[in-house]
Amino acid sequence: MDLNLVEHAFELKDDRWIFKAGLAQYPRARQVAKLCTRFIPDDEDEQIDDEPRSCYNCQYRRWMVAGFECLALRHLLKK
Amino acid sequence: MKNWLICIDDTDDIGTKGTGEIAEEIANLLANMSGGHASFVTRHQLFVHPDIPYTSHNSAMCFALRSPLTKAEIHQYAVAHLVAESAPAADPGIAILDVDSHYDAAALMDFGRRAKVEVITKAAAYDLAEQLNIQLTEHGGTGQGVIGALAGLGLRLMGSDGRVKGQIKLGQFEDVSLELSVADILEQTGLDAVMSTDKYRLALDERVQLKGKVKAVYLDHQFVLLVHQEAEQWRNAGKQALQAY
Repeated sequence: MDLNLVEHAFELKDDRWIFKAGLAQYPRARQVAKLCTRFIPDDEDEQIDDEPRSCYNCQYRRWMVAGFECLALRHLLKK
Repeated sequence: MKNWLICIDDTDDIGTKGTGEIAEEIANLLANMSGGHASFVTRHQLFVHPDIPYTSHNSAMCFALRSPLTKAEIHQYAVAHLVAESAPAADPGIAILDVDSHYDAAALMDFGRRAKVEVITKAAAYDLAEQLNIQLTEHGGTGQGVIGALAGLGLRLMGSDGRVKGQIKLGQFEDVSLELSVADILEQTGLDAVMSTDKYRLALDERVQLKGKVKAVYLDHQFVLLVHQEAEQWRNAGKQALQAY
């Protein structure tokens, strides 16, 4: 995964990689997912973005009240 | 024939079959084996919070069943399928409500509402299920799925919560739209109504352009295709518009 992408799109808070843009920022979520090598589409019923390749549609996103955490980053950067 | 509501939660893990698919399989299994009828499956969003473990989402899947089966039979067949299909790391739970029985619907709906905004314990779920004579059981892991399963019953009872599982495929594609009358859409899908996002109910002879992924929601106790108007043309609402459900 491109570490520049990580730094620009996510911030580390309490050991969790949080998407900086937050909720409903579809262009940014699509842009990041397009560059991500770990993207896996979630179950169709759990997808919320009309564009399939979007962080908001990824199995590795864990919703939070004001955004989401990327589990793919957590696993990758722990190694 | 009796009327039942059945809800399951916490059956999946990354890369495994989704809870909605398992719910749909149980619905079809129970309907087919008993000559009954199962409704669409609805997905109900629950609270997302660091204290609540969930896979990539936190949602429960619910369906209505009209069937001559007894509660014990429904539970036996549903649980057998649930256990066989749930992910090894999952915490599945199932709730079964006899809709024709006398129970405190307000209490159940209140539990559902609370599960969307706060962390609820398993003990609270079991207490309420016992009071309302709802069969609530857990089948592996922490069994946390009983909370969502019970909450899903309440949210479905409310009548205006949840998206319908799956997509509606009438021949439209991502880049090729299809125009149909409301009457045709209802006949071909089994949905109850076509409504705008501001709750205007379209007449049977009005026409709708369908394109891309088409999904329905549960609104006013009906299965509804949501549409919006663009350049004086009704079009199916996108996923962003469906997020509120």
